[in-house]
Amino acid sequence: MNARNSSEPGPGEARTRQRRRRQMIFLAVAAVLGGVIGGATGFFDQGDGNLFAGGWEQMKLPPALAIGIAVLLLGGFLALPLYGFKMVDDYKREINLVAFTGGCLSVLSGFPIWAVLHAGGFVPAPHAFGIFAIAFVSMYASFLFARWRL
Amino acid sequence: MKNRLKVLRAERDWSQAELAGRLDVSRQAVNAIETGKHDPSLPLAFRIARLFEMRIEEIFDDGENP
Repeated sequence: MNARNSSEPGPGEARTRQRRRRQMIFLAVAAVLGGVIGGATGFFDQGDGNLFAGGWEQMKLPPALAIGIAVLLLGGFLALPLYGFKMVDDYKREINLVAFTGGCLSVLSGFPIWAVLHAGGFVPAPHAFGIFAIAFVSMYASFLFARWRL
Repeated sequence: MKNRLKVLRAERDWSQAELAGRLDVSRQAVNAIETGKHDPSLPLAFRIARLFEMRIEEIFDDGENP
């Protein structure tokens, strides 16, 4: 029963290492997927646009590649997170729910705020990538807040 | 919610990773429960009670008991 004094890791430690390994594989797959999407988009873009630096409307991709990247995006932003939700325990699921809620509320409040500020002449008109960035950044900030402060 | 998880774990000389593996949760979850940042779900509370062969209310205290 004494796990620390034994040279062999206890059964619990072994399972924890296995869990950590699975998590690392999950993150590696997500990173590779992101790299492939970003790399392919940047390498094969035939237009003047840029997904991250603005002007994404002027991007031009071969149709087959565009469909392939769309499928990868669906995997990266839908299938992978849903699988991740199944993989994690209650505690991490709660943190992820806080993060997703933060992202969702930021978009729900962010768009109308941005629109009225634009109407008042303070900022440029709302655009799709800006809304996406609000969701992504606020989701990440909510995750960090939930992980270390709640 | 207050709990005796850290004491019970220390009595058995288990690390957080060891307890986490035995409960099939992450080490961060054990840490969050021990520090009172996270209340376990009912199924997890039962697993904890079973592992330490105690009743749930002997491990967790919601402050309502006289």
